[in-house]
Amino acid sequence: MRDHDAGVSAILEDLKAGRISRRQAFKTLAALGIGTALLPALSRLASADDQLMGPGGIPLARPNKPVTLPLWEDPIKSGLEPETDGTFTIFNYADYIDKALVDEFGKLHKVKVQITTFDSIDQAITRLATHAVRVDVTEIVPDRLAQAVAGKLIKPVNPDYVPNLKKNVWPSLQSPFYDQESRYTVPYTVYTTGIGWRSDKVSEDIAKLANPWSIFWNAQAYKGYVGVLDDSREALALAMLYRGFYDINTEDPAAIDKALEDLKALIPICNPKVNITQYQTLPEGTSWLHQSWSGDLLAGVFSYLPEGTDPSVLQYWAAPRGKGPIQNDCWAISATTKKPVLAHLWLNYIIDNTVATDNFLNFNGYQPPMNSITPDALVAQGRIPASLRNAVMTPDEVGPDSLQECTLTAKGQAQWQSAYAKFVSGA
Amino acid sequence: MREHSGIYPRGLWQAFALPGVVWLLLLFLVPFYAVIGVAFGGVDPIFLIPVPAWNPLDWNADSVVQTLRGFLPGGDYWAVFLRTTLYVAIALALCLLIGYPVAYYISRHAKRTKSVLLALLVLPFWVSYLMRMLAWVNLFAPSGYVNDFLAWSHILPDPPDWLNGNPVSVILALVYGYIPYLILPLLAALDRIDKSLLEAARDLGASPFRAFLHVTLPLSMTGVLGASVIIALPMFGDYYTPNIISGSPTTSMLGNQIDLFFHGGPQPAIGASLTLILSLFLAVLMTYYMHSVARATREVRDE
Repeated sequence: MRDHDAGVSAILEDLKAGRISRRQAFKTLAALGIGTALLPALSRLASADDQLMGPGGIPLARPNKPVTLPLWEDPIKSGLEPETDGTFTIFNYADYIDKALVDEFGKLHKVKVQITTFDSIDQAITRLATHAVRVDVTEIVPDRLAQAVAGKLIKPVNPDYVPNLKKNVWPSLQSPFYDQESRYTVPYTVYTTGIGWRSDKVSEDIAKLANPWSIFWNAQAYKGYVGVLDDSREALALAMLYRGFYDINTEDPAAIDKALEDLKALIPICNPKVNITQYQTLPEGTSWLHQSWSGDLLAGVFSYLPEGTDPSVLQYWAAPRGKGPIQNDCWAISATTKKPVLAHLWLNYIIDNTVATDNFLNFNGYQPPMNSITPDALVAQGRIPASLRNAVMTPDEVGPDSLQECTLTAKGQAQWQSAYAKFVSGA
Repeated sequence: MREHSGIYPRGLWQAFALPGVVWLLLLFLVPFYAVIGVAFGGVDPIFLIPVPAWNPLDWNADSVVQTLRGFLPGGDYWAVFLRTTLYVAIALALCLLIGYPVAYYISRHAKRTKSVLLALLVLPFWVSYLMRMLAWVNLFAPSGYVNDFLAWSHILPDPPDWLNGNPVSVILALVYGYIPYLILPLLAALDRIDKSLLEAARDLGASPFRAFLHVTLPLSMTGVLGASVIIALPMFGDYYTPNIISGSPTTSMLGNQIDLFFHGGPQPAIGASLTLILSLFLAVLMTYYMHSVARATREVRDE
């Protein structure tokens, strides 16, 4: 009997961890003689299993299926003194945080602060996983959190050290779907994926089109000046959204193939460039119509607009909630930190109202999800042009029905990557 | 067996070769075996980073076979492979058309100016390849100097968009980027040709052109082949030139596909397999070159 129970438990464990399908589990349980008495419980389990499993058996988070990440160790105790002296290392994209603010943090806590950079989040995870770098805090994206926790790359956060989270950050991101209770992260920036264009070159008022995404498939007049984000998820999602298909985390091969077909159709229409330099090319006028992240347009105005160019020529459209991607980046504490208290203080520092606003408006153009920042106030203060009002988001844009590109299974990632490789091969 | 001369310590000459051998082992063979290990290996289940299979007994050929299938007509890599080969072939031909006369002139006719011209040839190496390509972006931009000049001079009143997915620009950029690497070895080969052979040809009544055709050109063929191999190999793997100069899928090359699969995602084995297959293809070119050199050496020796 004990063997029998152990067998049932093993099957249920495999089912939970995503190692076997629900159908396989039912068949195996039936073979073990599990009768109808267990069916209600199995049905409950079956609905739970609708949530795909990711690395280490952690369920894949979706906006409407939040996940509480497991704690692999206890957070540090409250009330500890921050470490001083030595070097505090921040792991981040290049030019994604204002060096002046970093230096200020160092001065405040009497440490030397160093920024170590990575080119892509893949590179960041690889370098952390292979211990190629030893850092104290790292920038991270929600769709890599399960990997980072399962691989013990980041440490749990003690919220006592991060009061700014409750005080300053959007309520919708205080306990986000990808990290319920904010056990490992605080949000850093928030951005939508939409369409950026030059109103002095593109005659259509894209925001007023019945299907704004369709502009790319009607861009013959702008051939050579059109761009698509060089990102497998974003590029294919563009084609899905054009067709009104909103399951942008699908792993259905037919849906991915259809998106690829639509994306390839763009080549004879407008020969799009595939890059992520729209923050520079749109303001400079070498690109007229580009799939863009909201922060790029603001960064373009702040840093790349040639002298004499009217900022109002830069326009941005993002789809309403649930119809277009909205994403956010985060900060987390590296598992290798020797300064865990200071690392907590960094997480708190980065969501300080003044620090976050400075970093946004005086440096990278990417909006932090702070209650104090509103698009109307920024336009009224002349901090951003009115034409880019919708490049700044409000807290109600994030919720269970918002679209976010979330973690896929390894098989799903391979499907998306292979489809994207076919698009960029120009075949 | 060769006698030890006694003048120099035993093993002295072998010791000179040692750094090169170590360099070859550490910086070529080990990384190359790592690529093989990744191509035949797996991925870490959590991080999805490559886990090379070092032991050939553990190799899994699925990715290599899948990638090889992609090179068949109609396969995933067929079009990009053909495009890459075409771009490299045209760029190589242009490099030879431009580079050979330059090397010939410097070798044969640039007397006092030879050292100046040589310095000018080396000059591009002072600026990194990337910077030179970025300079092109500024020069060939829609409102850049090249288009301004073409419009002003009425050569092309309506100049083309050089940087918007134009294959001509990518090929010309490849020529611009790699031509110095062709001219220098070619110049060395032309310099090595014994001038008395040319004088003999002229003495026997050959016109300058026939002397060039029947003496200089055949004797410089190993140099032409060597220089061609030197630039063709990196051109085949180039990905940043089409990225910077075009950015369009219609001009992407095989190197861009390798970059995409290595850059991230769960299929590094595909990237490694593409690298291996490209290396095998290039090995064929190398073999032809080495065979030609060996044959030329034999012919010289037999004469």
